[in-house]
Amino acid sequence: MEIVQLSQISPDQVVLWSWSFITINVTILYTWLVMAILVGGSILVTRNLSSEMNVSRWQHFLEVVISVVRGEISEMTKKGADSYVPLIGTLFLFICTSNVLAVVPGYVAPTSSITTTAALATCVFIAVPYYGISRNGILHYVKEYFQPTFIFFPFHVMGELSRTLALTVRLFGNIMSHEKVIGILLAVTPFLFPVVMQILGLLIGVIQAYIFAILSLVYIASALSAEEEAHHTEAKKEGSAA
Amino acid sequence: MHIDWFVFLAQIFNFLLLMYLLKRFLYGRIIKAMDDREAKIAARFAEADELKTKAEEEALLYEKRNQSLNEKKETMLNEATLAAEAKRKELMEKVRVEVDAVKARWQDMLIREQDAFFYDLRQRAAKQLYATARKALSDLADADLEERIVEEFLRRVQSLDEEKSTQLRKAISGGGNRVTIQSAFGIPAPRQTQIEEVLKKQITNGFTIRYLQEPDIVSGIEMRVNGHKIAWSLNEYLETLVESLTETLQKEAHAA
Repeated sequence: MEIVQLSQISPDQVVLWSWSFITINVTILYTWLVMAILVGGSILVTRNLSSEMNVSRWQHFLEVVISVVRGEISEMTKKGADSYVPLIGTLFLFICTSNVLAVVPGYVAPTSSITTTAALATCVFIAVPYYGISRNGILHYVKEYFQPTFIFFPFHVMGELSRTLALTVRLFGNIMSHEKVIGILLAVTPFLFPVVMQILGLLIGVIQAYIFAILSLVYIASALSAEEEAHHTEAKKEGSAA
Repeated sequence: MHIDWFVFLAQIFNFLLLMYLLKRFLYGRIIKAMDDREAKIAARFAEADELKTKAEEEALLYEKRNQSLNEKKETMLNEATLAAEAKRKELMEKVRVEVDAVKARWQDMLIREQDAFFYDLRQRAAKQLYATARKALSDLADADLEERIVEEFLRRVQSLDEEKSTQLRKAISGGGNRVTIQSAFGIPAPRQTQIEEVLKKQITNGFTIRYLQEPDIVSGIEMRVNGHKIAWSLNEYLETLVESLTETLQKEAHAA
């Protein structure tokens, strides 16, 4: 009896089609599925958008999601929140949808593949200097690596790399391990308990999506000007004092 | 842990593509719709604020107008009350004047009627008294009394002063030298002669005397010469009595 399917160990291993170095595996397939759901849903909902008072339920739902994302971003970056919405929002929506769909039998979350999480973390790794430089200029950005002294440069670089690795492994480890646990539990106690674990899995999936998005936002925000950070810290202090 | 670099790059590409598509179809549209709605709501709020301000201004204006109208109403009411009071007084005055006039007219009429009545009464009383007295005197008259009357007449002629005598003289000559002597009784011839002598002596010669008997002259005698008259009769006394009586009655009436 096969306790854990191959796709449950790593969806990357289930290759559907390959030619030369081009490989189409389950990870890519389900990524496309999630993309199709997100884009298709967005097109369907935003086809008849209304700026009046009476709007559809789906529009309400999406507006709530976007509002929360915007709120979080503007709380961190203070200004220009809308320019970070596509990256942070897409990270959250993609990871969340990938994880939540795990309740569908036969579906394997693309986020349980380290290739996917590494790709996402790499995107964040690139986005951080991109936003930092585009906001404050390259000099200012590079100068931050030598703060407080030049000795700290290697540590800054290591920090950048390690947090990217942390992002990758955290998401991958959580989702992958959850699927393994579900697979093993199904073999040991096939009734009720796996259902509870599935529910827990939904919660973990959403939380991981939130953590990934928030951490990315924190990294981006930290790359923004020190002056802004100082201002932000001060404001936060004032807020907490109040 | 194996990482397929093609899949890795493909996933980066997929993510970037998803980001683009979602930006195109989700964030842009949703954010625009939200911003539009926010703007609309803000505009509505602004409009509502403006309308509220306007409404408050209008309310204030109306309140002021109302107040001024009330004040005006009060003033007009007061004026109207005063005017009505003045009119009432005027009308009352007019009515009072009219009533006074009517009263005065009525009193006047009453007085006139009273006067007329008293006049009539007076006349009647006098006539009655006169008639009674006259009747009594006529009944009492006799030869002796007639003698005394003639004597009294002659005494009067004789006591005429010079001026009166001159007047009579002129009157006699102007009246065609005629003298008329009227009496209630017939004068005997010797007495006629005596009268003639006295007249001729006292006044003038050259005239003729005509004797007439007139019962209306109560127990008296009178001489008439061209408008002049010398007389004595009870009539005079009676007339004096009647006048005195009338006067007394009138005084009594007014006192009442």
